Amino acid sequence: MYQLLLTRKYLTSKIMPLLASIAVVLCTAMVLITWSVMGGFLKNLVKSGRTMIGDVAIVWPNVGFPHYDELISMLEADPMIEAACPMIESYGLVHLPGDRNELVVVKGVDGPSFDRVTGFADTLYWKPLAKPLKKDKQQQDWRNRQHPLWEQKQKDGLALEEYDPATDRMVGAAVMGIEVSGYNIREVWGGYTPGIVIVPQPDGTTRDVQVLMFDDTVTLNLLAMDGSGHSVETKTRKLPVANEFQSGLYDIDKQTMIVNLAVIQDMLNMDEARRLDPTIPYDPFAIATDPVTGREIPAPPPPMLIEPARATTVLVRGVDAEADPRILAERCRTIYKAFAAAHDKQVPPIGSIRVSTWEDQNRTLISAVKKETGLVLFIFSFISLTAVILVLAIFWSMVSEKTKDVGVLRSIGAGRLSVAMVWINYGLAIGLIGSLLGGALAYAIVLNINPIHDWMGEALNITIWDPRVYYFVEIPNEVEPDKAVIVMLGGILSSTIGAIIPALRAAYLSPVKALRFE
Amino acid sequence: MNRVQPQPNRRRQRPTMALLEVQHLRKTYRLGRVEVPVLHGASLAVEEGEFVAILGASGSGKSTMLHLIGGLDRPDRAPKGEPDASVMFDGHAIGSMAARELDRYRAGTVGFVFQFYHLLPELNVLQNVMIAGMVRHGLAFASHRGESRARAESLLGAFGLGSRLRHRPAELSGGERQRVAIARALINEPRLLLADEPTGNLDRKTGDAILDTLAQIRERTRQTVVMVTHDAHVAARADRIVKLEDGRVVAEHSKPLA
Repeated sequence: MYQLLLTRKYLTSKIMPLLASIAVVLCTAMVLITWSVMGGFLKNLVKSGRTMIGDVAIVWPNVGFPHYDELISMLEADPMIEAACPMIESYGLVHLPGDRNELVVVKGVDGPSFDRVTGFADTLYWKPLAKPLKKDKQQQDWRNRQHPLWEQKQKDGLALEEYDPATDRMVGAAVMGIEVSGYNIREVWGGYTPGIVIVPQPDGTTRDVQVLMFDDTVTLNLLAMDGSGHSVETKTRKLPVANEFQSGLYDIDKQTMIVNLAVIQDMLNMDEARRLDPTIPYDPFAIATDPVTGREIPAPPPPMLIEPARATTVLVRGVDAEADPRILAERCRTIYKAFAAAHDKQVPPIGSIRVSTWEDQNRTLISAVKKETGLVLFIFSFISLTAVILVLAIFWSMVSEKTKDVGVLRSIGAGRLSVAMVWINYGLAIGLIGSLLGGALAYAIVLNINPIHDWMGEALNITIWDPRVYYFVEIPNEVEPDKAVIVMLGGILSSTIGAIIPALRAAYLSPVKALRFE
Repeated sequence: MNRVQPQPNRRRQRPTMALLEVQHLRKTYRLGRVEVPVLHGASLAVEEGEFVAILGASGSGKSTMLHLIGGLDRPDRAPKGEPDASVMFDGHAIGSMAARELDRYRAGTVGFVFQFYHLLPELNVLQNVMIAGMVRHGLAFASHRGESRARAESLLGAFGLGSRLRHRPAELSGGERQRVAIARALINEPRLLLADEPTGNLDRKTGDAILDTLAQIRERTRQTVVMVTHDAHVAARADRIVKLEDGRVVAEHSKPLA
């Protein structure tokens, strides 16, 4: 009982506990802010990395495998699987406006089904905005301007098709990563504006030209392969750019180009084809009799075999986005096994196929950021040890100052443990107050980190989080409750530990020496 | 005052059982590498209801003796061949008590009054008195709160501090502080009140007032009191004076009964 009374009195009548509480507040807030921002950064990164690849990929690179539609039907019939789509992944050389060439990863997809698996539509950049970007206070973003073009671009981008006035039909189109061309300028308000290039004119003058990639064309060069994986020829195709996409991952946005699946299948000789059955002898000079006229005519060719179209990859999206993708991958393996059994010798066996989760595919990047987060957290936690040392120092000094009180308490019958509890309670109270206030401070800062950052930029000209560098427009501003609880418990524990040594010192003071202490 | 030689076996000469019996007390303090002997086999017996003053100069060992009686410290072991030291209170050996028993002894059986009051500066007058009750009852204090508060208020009222209950020690005079300290020492109704130079930090007039307070308490409750002082005038208020020199009892003087 008396411990609580003394703890309360010591807390409210001294400046030192206030200083110790401030130290705990700052350390708790520092660790929680760091963890929340870095954790949020990692979360955004993972989310962005997952955007373009779904949950699981079934891959047979280079030549691909046929009957993928059937595999997709089998996959989509499974209750664990929400959607699946085909994809062809290859490398290509893209010729850009301004006579520039870039090496790109080409993904041939069917827009709508790719969207169902990966949320592709959300990544399309040129589309009408529901509301301006938070940092775009001047509304400089072109997408804020009311124009039917944006809706058309969104529609074309999703379908990966564009109207060709020359032929009066829809033709296969490309959606470029927003950073591929290098003509889009990333602005501090978080969006892009088309860049301007200086074009020399025949008369020796120059002209400024704004490069609108989303309304331009590119020329794609691919190396087509035969069914055995040997390259046979280079295929070149001029493609209209229906839109550009922004996944949130610089590497993907810089190196990837999404193209209509039919176009890529055609360019890589992976589309449906008819060929002769080698088991039936065929004489091109054979003569047959016309059953109607009875005249001799060239004999018709034997029935042709239909070679189905191929895809290198089938992307799969699970029903439960939070579920362990390894379980889904295992399910996909089982389904593929049944699929391979049904198409024996036509599709690669399960042992040859690679079934990988989105985590496997982003493992290097994710583990790098995870390690970085861990390292930063470790460093900050280490710095937070100063709180423990500070509490220890303050308590040590307070025990010295209160040595006489210890003597008095012992003289009126307080036991050692009981005296120690005065100081331990004290540490606990400082930890509790400091951690709760630190948690509240961290919550307030993280929640308002973007306005605070904006204010720093405006008032002090300090920009720590530059979207051009960090790629995410906003600083992650979410505090996870479990993290908050862990950090606050850490703060309480640290303060209590900091109080234990001085508490033991107080407990083991000789009462006589304590009473005589000057 | 008669000068007497220390008599280790005095208890046997006394016809009645003493409340407190102290025998052959030895204590040496160590200051760094230097050993400072303070008590050299001092002995003392105090009857229930008696007011004994231990009179001695500074360094004579009187406060150390009080601390040993109050269980704040333990006596040294006797050298080989010498009789062992003992502090017996109502037949219980204080020196051999376990730490928890000793805590209970200090909380419930003895009450200390110090020269420098030793009040807790953060607590008000009432809390300074009640804290001894809190320590004694521990978690059970909740059920003793009313009773403890009433006793604290009654004591403080009797000492003329009824209107100063919410004041902090810093707002009180020396005499008032000492009266608060006496109230704290008495809150648990101890059988033995130990006062260490209770007037040593006060002027003569205030000191006399404190002694009057002690006298009133004794008159009312027959409280056993052991008081140490260097002042013969103060010691004269006691029933018996025990003179301590260089850690030994050198003389005793009993006041004739009125």
